[in-house]
Amino acid sequence: MKPNFTQKVTNWGNFPVVEKEMRSEDSFKKIKEFVLSHNEVIARGNGRCYGDASLGETIFSTKKLNKFISFDRLNGIIECESGVLLSDVLEISVPQGYFLYVTPGTKFISVGGAIASEVHGKNHHAEGCFSEYVTEFKLMTEDGNIIICSREENSDKFWATIGGMGLTGIILTVKFKLKNIQSAYIRQESIKAENLDEIFRLFEESENWTYTVAWIDCLQKGKNLGRSILMRGEHAFQHELPQNLAKQPLRLKKKLQPTVPFYFPGFVLNALTVKIFNLLYYKKQTKKEVKSFIDYETFFYPLDAITDWNKIYGKSGFIQYQMVIPKEAGKEGMKQILETIAASGNGSFLAVLKLFGKNNPEAYNSFPFEGYTLALDFKVNSKLKKLVDKLDDIVQQFGGRIYLTKDSMSRSSLTNYLKNIQSSKFVSLQHKRIINNNS
Amino acid sequence: MIVLGSTSEVAQAFVEKALQEGEKFERIYLFTSSRETTERFARHIDVKFLQQSEVIEIDLMKEIDYNKFDHVSSNVLFCAAGYLGDGTEEGLYDNRNTEKIININYSKLVPVMNFFAQKFESRRSGTIIGLSSVAGDRGRQSNFIYGSAKAAFTAYLSGLRNYLFDKKVHVLTVKPGFMATKMTEGLPLNPKLTATPKQAADCIYKAFKKQKNVAYVLPVWGIIMMIIRNIPEFIFKKLKL
Ligand SMILES: Cc1cc2nc3c(=O)[nH]c(=O)nc-3n(C[C@H](O)[C@H](O)[C@H](O)COP(=O)(O)OP(=O)(O)OC[C@H]3O[C@@H](n4cnc5c(N)ncnc54)[C@H](O)[C@@H]3O)c2cc1C
Repeated sequence: MKPNFTQKVTNWGNFPVVEKEMRSEDSFKKIKEFVLSHNEVIARGNGRCYGDASLGETIFSTKKLNKFISFDRLNGIIECESGVLLSDVLEISVPQGYFLYVTPGTKFISVGGAIASEVHGKNHHAEGCFSEYVTEFKLMTEDGNIIICSREENSDKFWATIGGMGLTGIILTVKFKLKNIQSAYIRQESIKAENLDEIFRLFEESENWTYTVAWIDCLQKGKNLGRSILMRGEHAFQHELPQNLAKQPLRLKKKLQPTVPFYFPGFVLNALTVKIFNLLYYKKQTKKEVKSFIDYETFFYPLDAITDWNKIYGKSGFIQYQMVIPKEAGKEGMKQILETIAASGNGSFLAVLKLFGKNNPEAYNSFPFEGYTLALDFKVNSKLKKLVDKLDDIVQQFGGRIYLTKDSMSRSSLTNYLKNIQSSKFVSLQHKRIINNNS
Repeated sequence: MIVLGSTSEVAQAFVEKALQEGEKFERIYLFTSSRETTERFARHIDVKFLQQSEVIEIDLMKEIDYNKFDHVSSNVLFCAAGYLGDGTEEGLYDNRNTEKIININYSKLVPVMNFFAQKFESRRSGTIIGLSSVAGDRGRQSNFIYGSAKAAFTAYLSGLRNYLFDKKVHVLTVKPGFMATKMTEGLPLNPKLTATPKQAADCIYKAFKKQKNVAYVLPVWGIIMMIIRNIPEFIFKKLKL
């Protein structure tokens, strides 16, 4: 049996699926050999981007770069290899009273992926993107050399790599800051909004909250358009917690982890089931406003509670469509987008609305800018491309753009916004698709 | 804990599992042929568990200086040293390949194991865990050099278990089937029969706690190997396994 590294690879949306060479090495020397001996390479973390960003002719998986290097417990500065997952970081940091400054909606992403996608969380308006807290990283460039990148050293590469989608090289190790917490719990308020106007008002009123996010029921029309639940939260102080939690404020109880065992057949998700799901989700909360203390896992990572939930969408897979529209035009844009989705009947199981704050102009490859962002999951089917086209029209008209890490079919005029990333070595299928299709 | 073959992903996963479960070790001795990789791991467990360790280089293909590890003593020995080499079909007549497989999996390994076994015997406590292989359960045309070395190692572990029984030292033989590790990367393995290092570590830890004698990592391998062991030789010799 001779090794054959070609295999089927796909990211979180199970679309597209490719058969390409994928390798993982743990020594920098071997990574260098690998990079030098292949024409086109793209790094892949945990494959949690939805589309084709971390797919390429040859894929370098950072799976084996999974070791911690140092943890300054006094100042909350951690250094690890790029394949370490945020979940691994939390496992050691939370009991020590530290949390990630910025986390996406899943903790199963790698630290390298967090930089390459410049991820944002529910606190973008207050605390920005992941890179704000990164002090330095090591990058392997095209020639196999390893350079240290920080705001002072190789700062051009530092900023190009942030949000650079792996197109500047392979991030090997990362050093970043953590934030102090007194407990593993969040003081949460969730408030029902009847329609878009109300949810926009709630967002603006919640400006002083660190975390805000809303779930939208996307099948509502007319006066119910934009019916949603806003959730806002703060890390709870120990003294605020109810007694039963205050005793061991930094420890969570172990929960059972349900798993989706196989791909659901296609018919399970259709307009009707989505409607029912959203209705239940919305109706579960009977009161207008609920205040509670919930653990950080439930607050930040509700979907992680079900392993492999992406299989619910069946073998044909799904996409996530996430756009940002500048703030002034945002409300009108969102309204048109939600109307288009409701009219298409192609309901989204999951629709998350957020208000982005100001962007950091130095991080020029970062996706977020001030405005409204909406993320929607759609099952891949024959009608989807048409819907994406219509949504792209609206995003374009309102001066918005698409989040690359979730893109697999939007038009390139909305995704071709990266700078200083040209490389003949580090090439992804996504980037090729975008530059070959200048629609 | 003493770890032979510390670059092994299963060994590393086992160390992490034990520490996660709250096992305490004064020091972990990481024996390795690759200092760089093992030092990364040593730092990793220091960051993650505040666990002290010591990296000790050892090359089973060379003369071994036992003085270098006279001070090494613990109540758990985990041996994951092993070498797959080229399978029989491509590596049978390559003597270097054959020697390396036999040395690392058996002939050079056993004296090192004995060195520590003696310490366990005199302490009259502890557990020795040896990673053998299902390949040692019956010689098959595709990798019987490796299989025969593992068969010898399995026999050694079973004898050692017997010998140490009334000296209060327990020996656990682990037989992983296919595993998704560096050793097997790129090989076409059936995912249903393939365990991840983490799965293997969980299972080995359980077997360690329950003082099992022999453990297959995935239970299905116990059944498969029972069938394979029981196929009559006149049929078996004709099979392409
Ligand atoms: C349920 C869910 C919720 C999510 N919520 C959010 C959210 O709230 N906010 C948000 O911003 N994102 C969110 N995401 C997207 C996710 O955070 C990003 O796609 C993230 O980059 C995935 O990291 P990964 O390690 O899986 O990387 P991959 O998906 O494997 O790769 C993503 C990109 O990073 C590059 N890359 C990965 N590792 C390296 C490296 N070592 N060096 C160089 N380049 C590298 C790849 O080339 C690729 O371009 C969510 C995803 C899921 C599945």
